[in-house]
Amino acid sequence: MSAGVFAIHAKPGRHTTLVLSWFLFVAGVSLYFYTSGARHRENPEDRVTPTVAQMAAGMRDAVLRPAEDDEPLAEGASLMETIRHSMLWKDTRATGLRFIYSMALLFPAVLVGLHMGLFPYVGAFLLRFVLFFDKIIALSLLPILFIAFGIDELSKVMLIVIGVTPTILLDTFNLTRGVPGEQVVKAFTLGASDFDVAYRVVLKQIWPRVLNSIRLNLKAIMLFLFAGEMIASTDGLAYRIALLRRHMGMDVIIPYVLWVALLLFLVDFSMRWINRKLHPWFHEA
Amino acid sequence: MLRILSILLAVASFLTAETPGAKPSFTVGWSVYAGWTPYHYLMQSGIMRKWADKYGITIKIQRFDYAPSLDAFVAKNIDACTMTNMEALDMPAASGVPTTAIIIGDYSNGNDALLVRNGLQMKDLPGKKLLLVQKTVSEYLLDRAMTINGMRDRIKQVRLINTSDSDIATAFLSDTSASATVTWKPLVSQIVKQKGITSLFNSSQIPGEILDLTVVRTEILNRPDGSGQRFAKALAGAWYEMMARMSASGPEADKVLTAVAGGSQDTLASYKEQLSTTKMFFTPQSAVEFGASANLKEKMALVRQFVFDHGLLGSNTKSVDEVAIAYPDGSVQGKADRVRFRFELSFMKMAAEGKL
Repeated sequence: MSAGVFAIHAKPGRHTTLVLSWFLFVAGVSLYFYTSGARHRENPEDRVTPTVAQMAAGMRDAVLRPAEDDEPLAEGASLMETIRHSMLWKDTRATGLRFIYSMALLFPAVLVGLHMGLFPYVGAFLLRFVLFFDKIIALSLLPILFIAFGIDELSKVMLIVIGVTPTILLDTFNLTRGVPGEQVVKAFTLGASDFDVAYRVVLKQIWPRVLNSIRLNLKAIMLFLFAGEMIASTDGLAYRIALLRRHMGMDVIIPYVLWVALLLFLVDFSMRWINRKLHPWFHEA
Repeated sequence: MLRILSILLAVASFLTAETPGAKPSFTVGWSVYAGWTPYHYLMQSGIMRKWADKYGITIKIQRFDYAPSLDAFVAKNIDACTMTNMEALDMPAASGVPTTAIIIGDYSNGNDALLVRNGLQMKDLPGKKLLLVQKTVSEYLLDRAMTINGMRDRIKQVRLINTSDSDIATAFLSDTSASATVTWKPLVSQIVKQKGITSLFNSSQIPGEILDLTVVRTEILNRPDGSGQRFAKALAGAWYEMMARMSASGPEADKVLTAVAGGSQDTLASYKEQLSTTKMFFTPQSAVEFGASANLKEKMALVRQFVFDHGLLGSNTKSVDEVAIAYPDGSVQGKADRVRFRFELSFMKMAAEGKL
């Protein structure tokens, strides 16, 4: 069989793989700088596509200058001190806290999904409603969310919870249903109780897949979080982006967006790592 | 086969070819606001087409949300746009897109307001939560209100919460922990209807500082073929024909106003209420008079200092003079070689003299 370039059996070498996998990055970055250069030649004050120098300057200010609403720092403060009073640090902290709260609130959803899948009464009670609720676009109900939860942290966290919980619930439900019935019967035969079956047989083996599903929903969580911060807030990464958009501060927005991408990548990576460490027996993408 | 191909080619070339006699085409962007909704009627009624034909050009009118309309103007996707004097300065002008105001449409004369709960007073505001869209005329109004009341140094103590304008009314009404809000009509009218909410300050106390303009990119006006000049003339002609219709009295004018209000899904009564707090320059004479007065420079000096202090001119702008403003009398605020924003009265003058 001839191993053509586009054949399934093709075996690209190490260097080819390296070049190919970075190609789109390089192309994207060059296209950006080409556009940016062209725009700056035409209009040296262009703000839509800032140059590297402008972005670096914008980012340096974000990291090293105290936030606008902050008290001025005492002379001779250490670098760590400076960073802790900076815009970027404060925004990341605020967004990070919201992110952690909402993740924490997502875990009970896993238990509810498990019970829905195993206990017929719980399933009968919840399934139809969750199926319906899953299709509600939480963002369009904002005024009601404001009335119910105020405009502080709670409403932003609830926006995420309402938006993402149904997905997690249904996913866990489906995974639970996917566990072969024979195993449940066998466990009962060996003298397990209802909760033994639920937590020690079923939950144990769906857990890596559940973690995976939460990981895949990271982007949805971030999307809701950003929407919430853009609507009403006093800090956070999306708050800053919304403010900067008002005067086209793309020199800070682009580094901010890359920073968020990096953080998300790290969370994603560490979740995969934890999953592998906790469940070495689990082999799936 | 060859015949089909040649026909296809002919059709394609017909569709794509820029015929030499093609009319220059321009696009105006507008967003919903009492002083700008007339653009909707200009398009619907055919007034704009009439004036465009007269000057041998094509004019398209497109509605946007406010922020995207500014983005489109800065990105040079549209040629003219409605915006306030403040945004003209901190968006296009500060982004190196020289901008010229050709129509001074109106100024906010109560459209923007600072509203409070439970009869709070100005002196109570520090430490309280206040909802507003930050870095816009709302923050400018707050800044001016505090300054006029001698509390300039306590502005930082007010806890500002950046709130999207599409949600600010419900957010303020439902969250009683927020004591105050700054926003604009028709949201203001909606909020003050609730019990216990009073207006503490509004834009009629700073007349002429929040201007609503129609601006054009300066490079368009300077086009060598003169089509940009014709575009500006057509806009001014159409605009003041429209103003004459709106300011007439009687059922005929009501019909026009109803149609204008329809441009923002509004009712006649509500639109009239908004107009009552908008100082429209219905005649070109009044607009020219305002544009030529020393008053304008004083007000713009306040606005440009505000945008600079809040970093809206960009972090690279080291001095307020970097984004200079040129006035009709030839004077310049800022560095003369860095004029980015100018007021141009000639088109309104031509309208006043009936020369369009």
